[in-house]
Amino acid sequence: MNAIEVNSLQKEYQVFDRKPGLGGSIGSVFWREWKNIKAVDSISFRIGEGELVGFLGANGAGKTTTLKILSGLLTPTSGNVEVLGFEPWRREREFQKQISLVMGQRTQLWWEIPAQETFRLNQAIYGLPDKQYRESLDELVEMLDLKDCLAVPVKKLSLGQRMRAELAAALLHRPKILLLDEPTLGLDVVMQKKVREFILDYNKKWKASILLTSHNMADLTALCPRVLILEKGKLIYNGNLESLVRQYAENKIIRIVFDGDVPASAIAALGGTADSQKTGMWVSVPRSEVSKKAALLLSSFPVADLTIEEASVDEIVRKIFSKS
Amino acid sequence: MKKYLRAYLISLQETLQRRSSLVMDRLGGVAVMLSLYYFWKTLLSGRPAFLGYSYPQMLTYVLGMNILRSFALTGRGWELVGEISSGKISSYLVRPLNYHGYALALDLSQKTVHLFAALLEIGALLIFFHPPFYLQKSVAAMSLFIGSLLMASLLFFFLEFLVSSLAFWTSESGGPLFFFELFIQFAAGAFFPLDVLPRLLQKGLSLSPFPYLVFLPINIYLGRVGQGRALQDLLISFVWTVVFAAASLHVWRKGLASYSAEGG
Repeated sequence: MNAIEVNSLQKEYQVFDRKPGLGGSIGSVFWREWKNIKAVDSISFRIGEGELVGFLGANGAGKTTTLKILSGLLTPTSGNVEVLGFEPWRREREFQKQISLVMGQRTQLWWEIPAQETFRLNQAIYGLPDKQYRESLDELVEMLDLKDCLAVPVKKLSLGQRMRAELAAALLHRPKILLLDEPTLGLDVVMQKKVREFILDYNKKWKASILLTSHNMADLTALCPRVLILEKGKLIYNGNLESLVRQYAENKIIRIVFDGDVPASAIAALGGTADSQKTGMWVSVPRSEVSKKAALLLSSFPVADLTIEEASVDEIVRKIFSKS
Repeated sequence: MKKYLRAYLISLQETLQRRSSLVMDRLGGVAVMLSLYYFWKTLLSGRPAFLGYSYPQMLTYVLGMNILRSFALTGRGWELVGEISSGKISSYLVRPLNYHGYALALDLSQKTVHLFAALLEIGALLIFFHPPFYLQKSVAAMSLFIGSLLMASLLFFFLEFLVSSLAFWTSESGGPLFFFELFIQFAAGAFFPLDVLPRLLQKGLSLSPFPYLVFLPINIYLGRVGQGRALQDLLISFVWTVVFAAASLHVWRKGLASYSAEGG
């Protein structure tokens, strides 16, 4: 059964067209021009039970809008959406008890007091019996390493601690659907890794369906076998992350560090590009010709070091966007 | 019900945690009370009565205003406006929670803290300044006063909620709320008794819900309104409360429908 089903979803916003400068600001007091923006433009996709899917796209591509529709915050302009069999925007209690939305930038924690107070409020809001609440809390505290943070006022927590407390608050009721908007935004590399490991654990343990947006490629490669890519509100890719890499990275990159000087003309003759310090070069080669080309380079130049790399996911996505 | 009780308690904790802003808030209120106290004291010195208020009644009106401001005219309109325009409201809307009930619970916790503070301030004023104080001894009048006080705070809650909800449409500011706050203090009698105003204006205001917020409760306390009349006024203020509860729910639903949370 699909946990999430989206068919021909469309969402339009009305925004007011601000003219630049002081004159424009004064003018806008008396007269405003409104224009329609298509934030999401007839997209369709499905997410199965227990699936972890990444949501990719530039700022303003419509990712957050889609998450807001799935969580029931926004009503679509047209199209069908079913999450666990519910229409999200009806905001039925039974639906809300089974989902959670975490927006990295916004906190639901009470700022001046310890996070455990927010947890207890959520216990009451979701109507969790004491036993279940205890079990759930102990487990989350363990998994997220939150023991020392529980009794500290939220405003005194570090960003990483706060994000983990945020996740705990959002997961106390063990939602079956988890919508994560930029869960690792602003965290250092160690903390990013911790949060990623947790998301994966939670997904495995509770068979939760998770949809997450991120600008962080490491999040996607570590977590999401499948990705959806949005551009200007349109779904331009829905599929396996690995085959995406294969499809768009027809070439591999061979990098060489020279042992001695090599004239630029010799590098160019073999289709390479000298690096900025002139101590090495790189060349992009179709997958099938990598070994032949490497052998040729080794025999033609004084080589101190040679590496063969996959193109980065960042580059691949840039490529997709430039082609579409 | 448990969730709203928990919300009340957590908000109580946070209000007490923000001691410095609470103290600043109260100092502002004390300054208003003291200036009005000296104003009326000077104006009434040597006169037995003014506009039908005896000297003790007028000074009691001033002290009573502090109670009514603290309990009835206290709310979290600015927080609501902030939550709507910043999009923080989203985090409540995705949880199984009635936002009106939740907001009322938070409101009550603030009212509780401010009511205690107001009682302490008035106690201190009575101890240090010994003003003549009108003590209402009738149980019936006191019950009617407490009833009108509770009704006033409910009425204010829905009025403020209604005005704050306009932030769904005026996304960049709390302009309507700013106007509302100033206007309501004037129209409710929280600066001076409404008897000071020209008769026509008084008549106009008496057709509005505003006098039921401050002016009427204090006058019930002062025994200037007969019990039959007080009961009738209480009923009218109940009707106003129902009207504005319905209106604020309606506007809230409309606002939610057109809600476009910040960021895309």
